[in-house]
Amino acid sequence: MTPEEKYELFEKHCSQELSINEKARLDKLIKDDVVKKELQVYKELHVHLDTNFNTENQKAALAKNLKKVGDSYFAKKLAEKETKQEVKKEIKHGVKEEIFEEPVKKSKVIKLPSWAYAIAASVAIVFGVYFFSQGNPTYNNFVSIPELSITERGSAEESIKNAETAFNTKNYAKAEEYLTELLSEDEKNAEYQFYYGISLLEQDKYAKASRAFTKLQQGNSAYKYKALWFEALNKLKQKNYDQCAALLHKLPKEAEDYDQAQKLLEKLD
Amino acid sequence: MGNTKLHTDQKYIEALLQNDTVILNEIYEKFAPKVIGYIKKNSGDESRAQDIIQETLVTVYNQAKEKGLQLTCPFDAYFFLLCKRRWLNEIKKSSSNKVTINEEVVSMDDESVRFADETELFNAKHELFTEMFDQLGKACKELLKVTFTIKSMEEVAQKLGQSYAYVRKKKSLCIGQLTELVQNAPQFNQIKNLL
Repeated sequence: MTPEEKYELFEKHCSQELSINEKARLDKLIKDDVVKKELQVYKELHVHLDTNFNTENQKAALAKNLKKVGDSYFAKKLAEKETKQEVKKEIKHGVKEEIFEEPVKKSKVIKLPSWAYAIAASVAIVFGVYFFSQGNPTYNNFVSIPELSITERGSAEESIKNAETAFNTKNYAKAEEYLTELLSEDEKNAEYQFYYGISLLEQDKYAKASRAFTKLQQGNSAYKYKALWFEALNKLKQKNYDQCAALLHKLPKEAEDYDQAQKLLEKLD
Repeated sequence: MGNTKLHTDQKYIEALLQNDTVILNEIYEKFAPKVIGYIKKNSGDESRAQDIIQETLVTVYNQAKEKGLQLTCPFDAYFFLLCKRRWLNEIKKSSSNKVTINEEVVSMDDESVRFADETELFNAKHELFTEMFDQLGKACKELLKVTFTIKSMEEVAQKLGQSYAYVRKKKSLCIGQLTELVQNAPQFNQIKNLL
């Protein structure tokens, strides 16, 4: 048998296309340990190539996201370290000034114990956070939930009607249930996916919503950019402003929500 | 791995598969500090640590995607061990000088070590396969890409203007050539047992 014939048998074995005769030939062939091992490697390569070619995009998206998550984690870590050092510095300065001023003014100075400075600092931080958060945009300012209308597609299937009613009456838990059912029969349906994501987001099921929106973003449906916009709103709802802004920047000009996104970006700055 | 019960930390594996930002954040919050600490203690810095963490997570993803990794041990020890070994490899590669390693006493159960070993072997195999694929000729690379991304071979045949049997034969020859390349590579001995 030539190597060509052997590899063709291997290939047919992997794609389950062996005839009975060919299977018998292959069985005979792999009685030889060397050939058996070779088939094993061939099979492994087959799986490897299949997985790699079909997950290239997904893997690139993960790497990109990991970089982003990593960057923000390390930046946050650095910021925390700096804040700690600054608070320490301030406390030191404060104490020094007190001591310095004492002999000049000869007035009575109440020396504060060091913990008092810590309290003062925390009060300042609380105030800061309070006033700062006043200015932050919220999910409710920006979200506008589209209406779900799918029954007109000719079929008056019960679950479709139910999903539509539940969603449009803001009963998102029920809507999630019905849409899950619809998706189990038609998992690639982008419209179901999209409204399913919103139903989850409205129930604060952030991670699950994220998954639904991310899937849509990777696809090529009409909901690709809608999903990106809602994923940004998902981050906004979680007060994850950096990630929200990063997603908004990805929204192209031709997207329907581009103008809203720019407004939101302005507020986030 | 039989019927042993899945660990609740399997959620981190799922998060990698789903690219779930919230849980990926949690991975960094929970597991990065220990890795950063170790790398800094062993002549590295934070930016190197970030790379090591990211590369390790991608490796875990690869294994999960191709082999369906099912974690029956905590993610913590498993992940730390993988990052640590990756870092040690890196400093071994980059410096001809002897490096002193500040070993931390971290208790490792056998299960975590077993999982880390498996992932490491998988990764060695993955790298070897990728490297050998690069050595294939352009025609083979393209043919393989087309035949694996378009699922129906009839469609592929039509696209290439060839018969189905011809395309399948070509495909088998390309993978056959790749098989030979892999088996003849010096690294093959290390991963043989995994196959």
